[in-house]
Amino acid sequence: MSGVRTRVAVFAALGLLALFALLTVSLTTGEMRIPAGTALRALVGLGDGGDVLVVQQFRAPRAVAAIAGGAGLGVAGCVLQRLFRNPLASPDVMGVTGGASLGAVALIAAGASQTLIPLGALAGGLLSALLLGVFAWGSGLSVTRLVLTGLAVQAGLAAAVNLMIVRFPAELAGSALQWTTGSVYGRTWTEVWGAGGALLVALAAALVLHRRLAVLDLGDDSAGALGLNTATARLQLLVLAVVLASLAASLAGPVTFVALAVPHVVRFLTGPPTAVSLALAGLTGAVLLLASDLVVQHLLPIEGLPVGAVTATLGAPWLLVLMFRQSSPVQRTHA
Amino acid sequence: MTATQRGAPPTGVPFRAFRHIPLLLTGLAALTLCTALSLALGARSVPLPTVVDALFGDAHGRDALVVTGLRLPRTVIGLVVGAALGVAGAVAQAITRNPLASPTTLGINAGASFAVVVAIFALKLNDPVEYVWFAFAGAAAAALFAQALARRAGDIDPVRLALGGTVLQLVLLSWTSAVMLLNQRTLDEARFWLAGSLAGRPLDTLWPVLPTLLLGIVVALAVAPALNALALGDDSAQSLGVPVARIRLAGGIAVVLLAGSAVAVAGPVAFIGLAAPHLVRPLLGADHRLLLPGCLIAGPLLLLSADVLGRMVLRPSELEVGIVTAFLGAPLLALLARKVAR
Repeated sequence: MSGVRTRVAVFAALGLLALFALLTVSLTTGEMRIPAGTALRALVGLGDGGDVLVVQQFRAPRAVAAIAGGAGLGVAGCVLQRLFRNPLASPDVMGVTGGASLGAVALIAAGASQTLIPLGALAGGLLSALLLGVFAWGSGLSVTRLVLTGLAVQAGLAAAVNLMIVRFPAELAGSALQWTTGSVYGRTWTEVWGAGGALLVALAAALVLHRRLAVLDLGDDSAGALGLNTATARLQLLVLAVVLASLAASLAGPVTFVALAVPHVVRFLTGPPTAVSLALAGLTGAVLLLASDLVVQHLLPIEGLPVGAVTATLGAPWLLVLMFRQSSPVQRTHA
Repeated sequence: MTATQRGAPPTGVPFRAFRHIPLLLTGLAALTLCTALSLALGARSVPLPTVVDALFGDAHGRDALVVTGLRLPRTVIGLVVGAALGVAGAVAQAITRNPLASPTTLGINAGASFAVVVAIFALKLNDPVEYVWFAFAGAAAAALFAQALARRAGDIDPVRLALGGTVLQLVLLSWTSAVMLLNQRTLDEARFWLAGSLAGRPLDTLWPVLPTLLLGIVVALAVAPALNALALGDDSAQSLGVPVARIRLAGGIAVVLLAGSAVAVAGPVAFIGLAAPHLVRPLLGADHRLLLPGCLIAGPLLLLSADVLGRMVLRPSELEVGIVTAFLGAPLLALLARKVAR
């Protein structure tokens, strides 16, 4: 047991270090280079006024959006994958984040203020989860059906997005497209405060509810014998995961791959899931999304790419391997 | 995910098409009605007698001009594209042995979209007639890539084809958005094409792809009897003497030719290829020798009705046919998913 504990500690320390390093890089680089020390002092409001403006108003909200969004997606993916005991059950594959970003776009189109955007995302995410439930519910929840229904929900959502993109004036169409691809470009504090705060509350709730997840892991019979109402617990956790994913999407859009990959990485490195590993999933998600955003900003030859395009490209091979493995002839004959 | 089509007769069963002649005639009558509605209805509705006069040369004036200049090309393109999509869907479902397969799930629409958006961005094109070959090339490349992904031991694994195509589609869509976001002009040009529409395309858009379309139909009809054997499973088909791998390859080529031409003309229109076979199968059965001709009628029927519907809901403006089919098709896909993944 102590071996696992050391590994978790090392992993957490490395994760925090990486997060700090990436944050520093994201605050220092951009159109105008600012030395690391100056940037960190500007973050707390010290030093040259211009530096403070750039760091506090432009770079910090973007970095915070990536960190919070990544953390939310990582934890949401972890919860969903353990609930369904299937590596494909992630909010992006199931279409929840897509619905959330569509809700955000609908509010933008209606001309609502930026503070309301997280609410729109929540409504959209819950609505698509509800649609998913209505169509996929039946004799138990099969993940194949969930994924297929998720694709159907996404197709319907894509039609709505297309409708907006064709009907909107050009600049609104561009922002709608950016929202639905996944991007943290141009986030402001007004957006980040609301969603980030709510996300923090939801993350805390996830850590508290973690015990139920662990009990559910024992199987329905044992969980019932331990005095847990399995149906209620499952619904609570499901709603929590949808809320996490929707809030994350209201910050970063329907970024793929993070929620899909993070739980695997964490399980591989830290062994059996605990509350600590859930927190580590949040940390890993944050590092992953922040790093991807930095790649988009600085390492790619083309400027202005949305981070969602990069994570989709990275995630596709992963998704394929998972799907192929689940549907390999050996598994099919046993199914 | 695999579900063999129930009741597919083996190749040896005598072919009794004449039993279904009344049904086929009803379908043709419905299609004729739809064509007439498509010629008559729209922002400026034209009475049917005037439509007939305009078509056969007597009438002049604005109504006649609307019919011959705008509605006729649109309806002809709708008929051809619908037929291509319907047949492509039936063949795609047969070769993947998957009732959820369609040209869209093989990545064809997404490939065409990406190629067109890149062409608009890099070559500064701005006319749908110029997009035709880019769209066709993109569609073919995506479909071939999806088939390469699914290739295993010299044959195409049907389940891998459906999954690989879906994932490929997701990636290509995100790249398409990325390219569109690169500059305002690309966004402005591409967003209307990407919705999928029959409007604003002269018949000149159709002529270049007519040979590939016809070739696709011929190949599809030629492999139809063998597709029945494929529905029994690879092993049974093999033991019936059907060259499974070669039939699947020919079917794949037919799908690329048909759906590639369709997307080149009308832009990405989803769900016609998925819905047409599901509409025809309960009526005519799963024998592909009947199913394919049935889809030849059902495809245009669905596409033209969706187009007419799109013209009527927002009069005097209109809804692109691709958006109408996507809205109607999404619940259909959900219901099918419910049925398939039981």
